[in-house]
Amino acid sequence: MAAFDHHTVPVAELRPVTPARLIAVTGASALGLAVAMVFGLAVGSSGTDFSALFRSLWGLELPDPTLSTILWQLRWPRVLVAMETGAVLALGGLVFQALLRNPLAEPYILGTSGGAAVGAIAGILLGLSRFPGVGAAAFFGSVLSLATVLVLASGRAGFRRDALLLSGVMVNAFCGALILFFISTTQDARLHSMLFWLMGDLSRADPTVAARLGGVLGVGAAVVFAMARPMNVMLMGRDAAESLGVSVLWTRVFLLGVTSLMVSAAVCATGLLGFVGLAVPHGLRLLFGPDHRVLVPACLFGGGAYLIGCDALARWLPRHGEMPAGVITALVGAPLFILLLRRSTR
Amino acid sequence: MTHRRLRCAVPAVLWVVWVVFSAAAAVSAQTRTVTDPVGRTVRIPEEPRRVITLAPSLTEMVFALGAGHRVVGVSRYSNFPPQVQDLPKVGSYVQPDVEKIVALTPDLCLAVKDGNPREVVEKLERLGIAVYAVNPKNLQEVMETLTALGDVLQAQEEARKVRDRMERRLEEVDRRLRGVERRPRVFFQIGVTPIVSVGTETFAQELIHRAGGVNVAAGPEPYPRFSVEQVLALRPDVIVVSSMEREQVFETVRAEWMRWRGIPAVAFERIHLVPSDLFDRPGPRLADGLELLARILHPERFHGGF
Amino acid sequence: MKTMVSLEQIVFSYGPIRALDGVSMVVGEGEFFVVAGPNGSGKSTLLKILCGLERPQSGRAELLGRPVSAYRRKERSRLVAYLPQTVPLDFPFSALEVVLMGRHPHVGLLHMEDRNDVDKALEAMARTDVAHLKDRPVTALSGGERQRVFLAQALCREPRLLVLDEPTAALDPAHQVRLMDLLEDLRHERGLTVVMVSHDINLAAMYGDRVLLLKHGRAVCQGPPEEVFTFQTLEETYGCVVLVDKSPLGCFPRVTPVPKRYLQKEGTAKENR
Repeated sequence: MAAFDHHTVPVAELRPVTPARLIAVTGASALGLAVAMVFGLAVGSSGTDFSALFRSLWGLELPDPTLSTILWQLRWPRVLVAMETGAVLALGGLVFQALLRNPLAEPYILGTSGGAAVGAIAGILLGLSRFPGVGAAAFFGSVLSLATVLVLASGRAGFRRDALLLSGVMVNAFCGALILFFISTTQDARLHSMLFWLMGDLSRADPTVAARLGGVLGVGAAVVFAMARPMNVMLMGRDAAESLGVSVLWTRVFLLGVTSLMVSAAVCATGLLGFVGLAVPHGLRLLFGPDHRVLVPACLFGGGAYLIGCDALARWLPRHGEMPAGVITALVGAPLFILLLRRSTR
Repeated sequence: MTHRRLRCAVPAVLWVVWVVFSAAAAVSAQTRTVTDPVGRTVRIPEEPRRVITLAPSLTEMVFALGAGHRVVGVSRYSNFPPQVQDLPKVGSYVQPDVEKIVALTPDLCLAVKDGNPREVVEKLERLGIAVYAVNPKNLQEVMETLTALGDVLQAQEEARKVRDRMERRLEEVDRRLRGVERRPRVFFQIGVTPIVSVGTETFAQELIHRAGGVNVAAGPEPYPRFSVEQVLALRPDVIVVSSMEREQVFETVRAEWMRWRGIPAVAFERIHLVPSDLFDRPGPRLADGLELLARILHPERFHGGF
Repeated sequence: MKTMVSLEQIVFSYGPIRALDGVSMVVGEGEFFVVAGPNGSGKSTLLKILCGLERPQSGRAELLGRPVSAYRRKERSRLVAYLPQTVPLDFPFSALEVVLMGRHPHVGLLHMEDRNDVDKALEAMARTDVAHLKDRPVTALSGGERQRVFLAQALCREPRLLVLDEPTAALDPAHQVRLMDLLEDLRHERGLTVVMVSHDINLAAMYGDRVLLLKHGRAVCQGPPEEVFTFQTLEETYGCVVLVDKSPLGCFPRVTPVPKRYLQKEGTAKENR
């Protein structure tokens, strides 16, 4: 038997997850988050001002007190909500990619997005206020479509993965058709509101939304982290996983339940933000490896950082008015991801 | 550790101090409580010096009252009068930019109930900014709004003059149209693809009626859609195209209609282009719209000028 | 010798299709037991029932005297290691990480692998000759190498019963023999019980203590190889002509399927039996 002196190998090369590696990855992603937050707070439609931000953080008096209001009453809740939504979406994508063993899976795949959008648009058409009306309608819609997908995909023994995927795609497509129908028959100002929601709308962020979403995220992230190793094992297929002592049914139920709730809550708060849930987990996987115990904190902080960054760009770029964040996440994310992919395959 | 806590406490303390000061300032600076036309109770300054309008119609009305010097920011698509081009824009009226608004430190914001989102108004109020809302839906209410705004902006005298002038113009049109027997059937087109017209509860419909015409698209739906067939079946005598797009588009639209000789409007070549701002924006320029439309519908009554 | 596995009158159906129809099987502790039979005879299903992955509609399945269903999942996973025929793994875990997953039954939920676990994993990898591949992603390995990595994972679990579904299918002859030798070593060192499904009758004959022959979900014969692998039972089960003689290496049978061209002279073939 060979004696492997791996004690002297530096931590970065020792692929298995040790507490040291976990801390290193968490630290790196938290740092990324902090940098993104600084950008998110310093940038805005009324101007970019890093020095004012730092002065304010340091407790120094600002020459213009309205700047303080803008920083802490307007931008800070928005940065918080962006962080939370990004984290939810990245975690959601990570979980669905593991549960469905499909690299193309993303958090909206099981019909959550379609259902929420239909619910929200119905709410807007009925003239409900943004909250609680439209938010509740969106939540109800997403839960309903998820239930539909699960019912459609249930079979003899639990849920078959391909049936889940297909049902999700079908439900989303059907909801998409409904949405187009609603849009084509509405002409007034509410249409604009709908479209903005469909493309991701972080402008309605306020401390209540941030607190609520933060609570959901906290619980969800804790559950997902606890199930990180079972997620690793589940990638080997049902039989191997069961044989290793993982209850595939319960793991799926918990993960699916918690993640769907998180994603529904996020969709209700900020509309549909594509690309985050698909690309961020893959990007982080290319950087940090496929072990979920490391990927969960990475997605938590990295997803948040990504969305904060995209939102900051969306607020900074256009001279007139705000671009929807959902446009930036794809425009920026796709080339970035391709770059990362090419570097890893070389 | 205490040092850091102190550092975090200082901005919080500063913020509280600032709030207290502004509140005190607000109370001590002259303010008064009014009820806006929408029914909300608002505390506004006696002399508003930094006014922001959240809709192009409000921009027009404020400037018409001669209170343009009080304005520091306008809604994005404000285009009249020309001097507003240079003023800072605070986002569209469905998506006002709260951060820009706050940065301009207004003491009064003017909003439109049907259009500006309620959450934005609430957010502004939570930040201590007074928001005065109006919601004129017909000519009469527009004139009442002008009076109300005149009161708010300390331009009561000017408001009275503008209102009188507007009323006189409207009455002049009424006078000239007295005794008209035949009201032409009007198809007022505001959308090109798809074809959209106006129904009840719109200014355009009211103007059509007052200009001595009949709106063929009248109905409960405010912005009904039509297919070409449906318009053919309605046989309008006049087609008025109000588009926000350029002249070239109008030529295309006109050419499109000219294919259907069965429509009286086409047979008698009564297809006209009008600027949309005169027909969908509440304000004194609605009178311009009325005069224009009346001349189109009843040219025989409007020989010469007004 | 204790009874490791006891299956009595197992009946199992996938919907309308009856996969197992009253099969009974007994495996003693430390035995090398092989399940053989043509495709679709229910071998894989039998293994799954044995491991507790499927529940039979009727019949009793027991491990070490206790019903399989009575074991808690973690307990059972410490006892039995199941290596399926194919394991999908689309994500680029390194070989070492995959093997380390085998420690799952022994550790708590939030446990991180420590030196002890890594040592055990490397040891197992050395025995299956994949230690040099430890940092390679499994997606870049050949079928045989992956098979050995998963075997290392199974060994890492330190089970008492090892259940393998056609483990030699993707291996070259050298590695086939090496794997079977390894299993034999483990039996002798640790008293490991091995239950294996194999298409390779000769390997089964060479290594197996006892064999079960299945056909269409029914047991044809159960016992030592020399009793089970007679030309009558094999021809009846597989439906092809075979030549059975005694292997020159030891007192176990050697089975040779007979190609068509040798069947023309029927007389000669029958004489040689």
